[in-house]
Amino acid sequence: MMLQPVRARARVWQALALAVGLVLLAAGVNLAAPLPPVSPERVLGMALEAPRLIDYEGTKVITVLRNGRMETVTVAESHKRPNMLRLEYLSPEDVAGRLIVDNGTSAWHYEPRVNMAFEEPTLQGALLSRDQTLLRRNYTLTALGTDEVIGRQAYVIALDPKGAGVHRQLWVDRATGTVLRSEERDPSRGVVLSTYFSRISFSLNQPEAFFQFRMPAGAHAVTLRTTEAESMSPADLERRVRFPVLIPPVLPEGYTFRGGAVSHFGSLTSVYLRYSDGGNLISFFEAPAGSIGWPAFGRPVRVEAQPGRFIDLGYFRVLIWEQRGLRVTAVGTTPTETLITVASQIAVGREQALVRAVSRRAEIDPGTVRRLRGEGLTFPEITRTLVLAQVLGTDLPTTVRFVKGTLTLRGLAQQMGVRPEVLRQTVRDATARASTLSPVTPAAVPAPSPGR
Amino acid sequence: MTLNHHKAGQLLSAYLDGELAAAETAAVQDHLMDCAACREAYEDLRVTKAALGQLPPAEPPAEFWAVVREPAWRERAAAPARWRWRLPVLVRRPAWAIAAVLAVLALAAVPMIKGTVDRLHATEIGVDLYVREHAFEMSTEPLTDRAYLGLVAGDADLVLVGEPPRAEGRR
Repeated sequence: MMLQPVRARARVWQALALAVGLVLLAAGVNLAAPLPPVSPERVLGMALEAPRLIDYEGTKVITVLRNGRMETVTVAESHKRPNMLRLEYLSPEDVAGRLIVDNGTSAWHYEPRVNMAFEEPTLQGALLSRDQTLLRRNYTLTALGTDEVIGRQAYVIALDPKGAGVHRQLWVDRATGTVLRSEERDPSRGVVLSTYFSRISFSLNQPEAFFQFRMPAGAHAVTLRTTEAESMSPADLERRVRFPVLIPPVLPEGYTFRGGAVSHFGSLTSVYLRYSDGGNLISFFEAPAGSIGWPAFGRPVRVEAQPGRFIDLGYFRVLIWEQRGLRVTAVGTTPTETLITVASQIAVGREQALVRAVSRRAEIDPGTVRRLRGEGLTFPEITRTLVLAQVLGTDLPTTVRFVKGTLTLRGLAQQMGVRPEVLRQTVRDATARASTLSPVTPAAVPAPSPGR
Repeated sequence: MTLNHHKAGQLLSAYLDGELAAAETAAVQDHLMDCAACREAYEDLRVTKAALGQLPPAEPPAEFWAVVREPAWRERAAAPARWRWRLPVLVRRPAWAIAAVLAVLALAAVPMIKGTVDRLHATEIGVDLYVREHAFEMSTEPLTDRAYLGLVAGDADLVLVGEPPRAEGRR
């Protein structure tokens, strides 16, 4: 009789041990279980949406190609949704203590070694539907499976540009969509930029005050807003600055005009034209040649027999050349050959001949072609716009919006009352026809040769 | 004492006029030995100043005469008539004449020298200015790493205010 309670207790312990064992087994099975397949489009969507939904604080390690060497930078990064950011650089020594506090509208950069604070534009650009459209249109997405980053499960996807440019690989956190690790690979030089979190915490209740800049005692404040906020077309810019604005006749596949602005620094006034493919950017700065000299560094090059200078900063490449009394500077991550080819297409100065050629081939008046050029469109984009408008029966402004990515294929299909799949095929056919009509094609911009 | 390109540009005019301290003079000389762009700018500045020095005396602006004439009129009232009519004011007052010529030369020279210094400054900061603007615009690309862009923009900020670039900042 005395043994009864002892047996009962033993049974209770056995049951508890079994339960614990089952829980542990289940957890183990869960951890080891392969992640359910998720489309790369869905993973990309998670990564794009994450900043709007998730707060985090972590330590990020950046390794970047800088002037021929790989530099490693460590930064404490805090993000509060939707667009607040605080960056405290920890190493190397010459950036240690640098602080960037960004409230989503403007940013402050504090540099302790000179005790100066710079007020500047925000680094937290809003996610626009146009960027998503261009990204999906111009990059091939591939699922590369799953991986573990700092003990967290992540989906791995690759984004390969259809034109020339850097290839990206992203490790996207399964639970939050945050990019835990990334790599950008240049076909000619291998990995040019990689980032990963060595530590990260989510869903912290970070106070807003942490993302408001407080001026350190005695710091000297400097406002550095060099580019005007208003975005203008090349035609408007030309009227504004009173010097001719050169518009690239052709760019690598997928790049489209994103906007233009006037930039001021001291007495230097430049026109700034930016072209994006949704994942990367090529910037063109144009200023009267007399207002800016040649930099004392870089490699001398020839751009259509014009003197030029090529500066390889590592991740970014800069090409400077002079034509028609203008000093043109192109900045981007595109391969050197591509940048030089794009520059040559500008430098060759066939604007009027190309306008006439497009006008003749597409059977449209030259004035319309010039007007579309004034909106920043390249010649292949103009022929695509004209052919699409003709085939689809859409008006020019709507067609331009579609070509530039501000109107999706689904949106256009909805406007036209047709099924997206039907429209997709029509657009494909029309685009193929347009490429035969264009006097210059993106194919003229060579893809980088292997090993370069 | 070592100079960066921007600082050297600012000191060229004073260097040409022999107004620098010995250490600064040596530093500018050292920089000119190494920097082709500054040598070219220095030569431009030297030629400009030499050309200005050979200019004939220019006619001072009208406002200048308004200032000069009033005291001259007062003196004329007190001076003997023969002095008053036989010698022009500027001959009787050589200091005024020199001041007038210097004022005109200064008015002409300031924009020219300022233009040269601005051009030098733009040469020095041009690449950094444009890379900085490119970096800010890149922040609107959804997949770009903000911490990296902050690093690039921060480095450029320092160059724009005349600080030397970080180590290995140039090729």
